[in-house]
Amino acid sequence: MKKVCLTLSSFICLAGLGGLVTAQVSQPQLQWFQAGAGVELPKELTFANAGGRLGILNADGPVNTKGHPFFEPLGINGRACVTCHQPSNAMSLAVDTIRERWQATNGKDPLFAAIDGSDNPSLPQDRETSHSLLLTRGLFRVGLPWPPAQNPNPEFTVEVVRDPTGVNRDPIWGLKSAKPTVSVFRRPRPAANLKYVLAPDNGSFNVKLGVLLDKDPATGKPVSMNMMADARATTLAIQAESAYRDHQEGKGQLRQDQLNRIIAFESQVYAAQVFDNGAKDLAEANGPGGLGPLNLLREAAGVLNTPAKPVFLTFDAWKASTEFRQSVARGNELFLNRTFWVKDVAHINSIGLGNPAKRACAVCHNAVMSGMDRAPGWVDLGTTNYPTWTEPKTWNEPGELPVFKLTCRADARPHPYLGRIIYTSDPGRALITGKCTDIGAITMGQFRGLAARAPYFSNGSARNLRELVDYYDRRFDMRLTTQEKEDLINFLGVL
Amino acid sequence: MSRVRGLLLVLLFAAQLNAQNLSFVTCPIVRDTKTVPCWLAEYKGETYYLGNQGGVAQDFYPPQLNHEVLVEGVVAQGLRVCGGIPLRPVKTSVFLEINRACNTILPAEDEIEAPQSPQRPPTGGATSWVRSDGPADSTLYFDFDNDFLSLHTSTAVERLAQYFQQSRASEIQITAFRGSSKLSNGDVLIEQRDIAAARAAKVRDILIGLGVPPTALKVQVVGEVRTPDGINDPWSRKVTLSVKPVEPVTPVKP
Repeated sequence: MKKVCLTLSSFICLAGLGGLVTAQVSQPQLQWFQAGAGVELPKELTFANAGGRLGILNADGPVNTKGHPFFEPLGINGRACVTCHQPSNAMSLAVDTIRERWQATNGKDPLFAAIDGSDNPSLPQDRETSHSLLLTRGLFRVGLPWPPAQNPNPEFTVEVVRDPTGVNRDPIWGLKSAKPTVSVFRRPRPAANLKYVLAPDNGSFNVKLGVLLDKDPATGKPVSMNMMADARATTLAIQAESAYRDHQEGKGQLRQDQLNRIIAFESQVYAAQVFDNGAKDLAEANGPGGLGPLNLLREAAGVLNTPAKPVFLTFDAWKASTEFRQSVARGNELFLNRTFWVKDVAHINSIGLGNPAKRACAVCHNAVMSGMDRAPGWVDLGTTNYPTWTEPKTWNEPGELPVFKLTCRADARPHPYLGRIIYTSDPGRALITGKCTDIGAITMGQFRGLAARAPYFSNGSARNLRELVDYYDRRFDMRLTTQEKEDLINFLGVL
Repeated sequence: MSRVRGLLLVLLFAAQLNAQNLSFVTCPIVRDTKTVPCWLAEYKGETYYLGNQGGVAQDFYPPQLNHEVLVEGVVAQGLRVCGGIPLRPVKTSVFLEINRACNTILPAEDEIEAPQSPQRPPTGGATSWVRSDGPADSTLYFDFDNDFLSLHTSTAVERLAQYFQQSRASEIQITAFRGSSKLSNGDVLIEQRDIAAARAAKVRDILIGLGVPPTALKVQVVGEVRTPDGINDPWSRKVTLSVKPVEPVTPVKP
């Protein structure tokens, strides 16, 4: 196995991902990939994180990033795609990395651009407090027009009832500005393993809505609608164009050759944990077939969870292994088979499964290798809607996120479990469709490389995997034992 | 084949006339079991079995706690199922507005088991909510006040679109109806005024999305509501689809 390690200060090692990576060295320009750095991104590389090491695989070989539109700043604020999709963070961005950048640059890094890297572009940008949501929860501002372009006559009104950042009442950026905008705050999603994210459900239909799936305007083929939190962009080309305008403050459109290179890069990069401090080598021969980026490259996308092919394949090899590996295998069994009452989840319970439904995690997280929903996966789990939201329950606790009061028209179909008046910190998909039934619906994210990219949930409310598991435990009254929680956390950590 | 199928439907309806039909609005009840939960409903002190929890591929879509449900069914003979008298066929329509009093979950009991649910064929079964008299015709049945197409009904629309394209037909006639339901207590529920148009529009949009030219679609919305009888009401909320063959070309006489 060829192994190339560079002796510097943090933890990067270039190695064959099929075996254990032992050396820990650094190459700062890869640990934090500065836009326009122009360095080569190797075919295979690993990055240390608190849980072990993440592996990145560029299936098409080393990437010359000089002049590459994914890595070069294209807009006016100095950012590139890579700024928020860092290889060291599973092509997403961990909050620890964000804090390090603030300290290293005294807040001058383009990452903290006022447009969406601050709580409110109208605040003084040199202060840490003006970037609190990015620095504490890894959240970027997503400003969406209201009413939505897709539905000029939405089914509900929006009222800002709490605005800690001031942006939603801001005269320039707010809901009552010349360009009425609703600002919500969300985590960036991993730009890796995208064949799994983009694989559409079988057939032409969106089984959750009883209508046809959206189509790729370029090809006319059905799309997964699973890429973004609110599914507003359904293809890599549309997403790249909107990111260029919204996050890089670019003017006009990307050139076709730029789009092609961005899409080509994103389509061949895989990210997954390759070493875990407890389970050790995750990519060893005869190990679980679902771990590591090489297996992500090998497996087919668009496959539904079945007993013959479970979501992350089998962990049978670990059932009689070390104590930690046994814990991971038990966590996988819990994920696949531990049933509980799934209740009041719009676009899960409301689509023909019944409310409540006695189900396991893998019934909704059913796409093999990614843990997403093979059908369009926007669901109102409850993280952003009162009373199950992750935010403070009472007024006297300080809230970090805005709160909106949404009132549905009398002739609209109401939210199936919250009715016609809903308090929310992020209306999710409803900000695109204008439909009450979509309020709080957020597309579920992929499960890969979790150890490299805390915090979790679209609103960054779970600082670690324990808080994520605890939320589900509370939300669905799962009554997980301490051991079961530990097993689930260990299982999620090796993905 | 079509004649045999028609005869079967007549026999089914005749059997229903002799059976006891029930229609009522109630809070649904979910009962846990050792396997999958089953769904029940109470009416006049009796418990009725509606169906099991399943997947979106099954014909029975379970009701929703926190919502009342309209139950329309025929009392079946035989043993109780999951503690209730089975209703077969049964149509359950979830009411949109929230009723938080509908929150009963019964625990599992040793003696009560959910039956195995055999997977039904996608369409055409005696109690399926899609009926086809051949590849050129389909009738889709809907929940009360609802235009949602289940997996079965959407699959039927897709098949019809494929038949249209393969047969090089000229037209698809879409006829949408608004229905009503006579409850066992004599009350009558009538669907909202625009529901037939909503059903027609949804089916039309799907057919266009599947490649049927808009000019080939003839849409008729039937606004009148038939008089409900408490027996055939679930079959009044429907959209019929009929593929019209190309008119034979008449040779031009020289």
